[in-house]
Amino acid sequence: MNRKVKQIADASRDKFNSMERRLSGVLRPIKPRKEFVYGVAKHIQSAPQTTFVERVTSWHVIAMILAGLVSLAVFLAVVWRALESIMGKKRTV
Amino acid sequence: MPEPEEQETLLLASQGDLEAFGVLYGKYVERIFNYVYYRTGNVHDAEDLTARVFYRAMHHIHTYTDRGVPFSAWLYRIAHNLVANWHRDRSRHQEIPLSDAPTIHYKGEPPETALMQTQEKDALLRQIRHLPSERQHLLILKFVEHMSNAEIGETMGRSEGAVKSLYHRTLLSLRDELEGLDIEE
Repeated sequence: MNRKVKQIADASRDKFNSMERRLSGVLRPIKPRKEFVYGVAKHIQSAPQTTFVERVTSWHVIAMILAGLVSLAVFLAVVWRALESIMGKKRTV
Repeated sequence: MPEPEEQETLLLASQGDLEAFGVLYGKYVERIFNYVYYRTGNVHDAEDLTARVFYRAMHHIHTYTDRGVPFSAWLYRIAHNLVANWHRDRSRHQEIPLSDAPTIHYKGEPPETALMQTQEKDALLRQIRHLPSERQHLLILKFVEHMSNAEIGETMGRSEGAVKSLYHRTLLSLRDELEGLDIEE
């Protein structure tokens, strides 16, 4: 009985090893064409710096929000003054 | 985890240093090309997709954060996504038999002996490409990159034991499918 189990296990291991051999014969490192490798490298080296998106830090975000709020306040003040002046003129008329 | 020297290169690259990114490209281009080649089965698309992997990496490297996994894992993830899109776009595309594919040079071998011409090899490669992507990735890392189970685990975000078990199951299913093909023939 034990011998039979051993024979089955050996046969299974042999098949497994043979599968590994077949795979190592098929899956092997391939060298890409030099022209391709250099072409992409050249493209990377000549890429404009603007293609790199600058890291937006939390400090930048806070500054942008503050700038936005100040702009909004100025805009509202201008609109308010404009309305005031229009209304004032109407009253005087 | 990336080596200290590579960490420095990564930091420079993430700050927009093209030269540093070029160093990373030089280090990983062959590995990514091999991965994409074995996932697509033809050189033209492998070149196109490999180039796109690095362009995408270049544009997004500022988002890369070192979480203790190799940098190659990040590149493989980009490659995996692009290959998945490629398969989706080409769901109707007919596979090019490898015998019709352009000449591929194996490392250290003369071109004439490097060609994969036998029907058996083609059948095996076709069978590999029908495996789930994770299993294909595992076989590529194991046989093309000659990585250990521990290294594969680091790259794929799995434990060494899980890799070992997946490898075993993959080989058994491949063997069964190939035996099935032999019977049909």
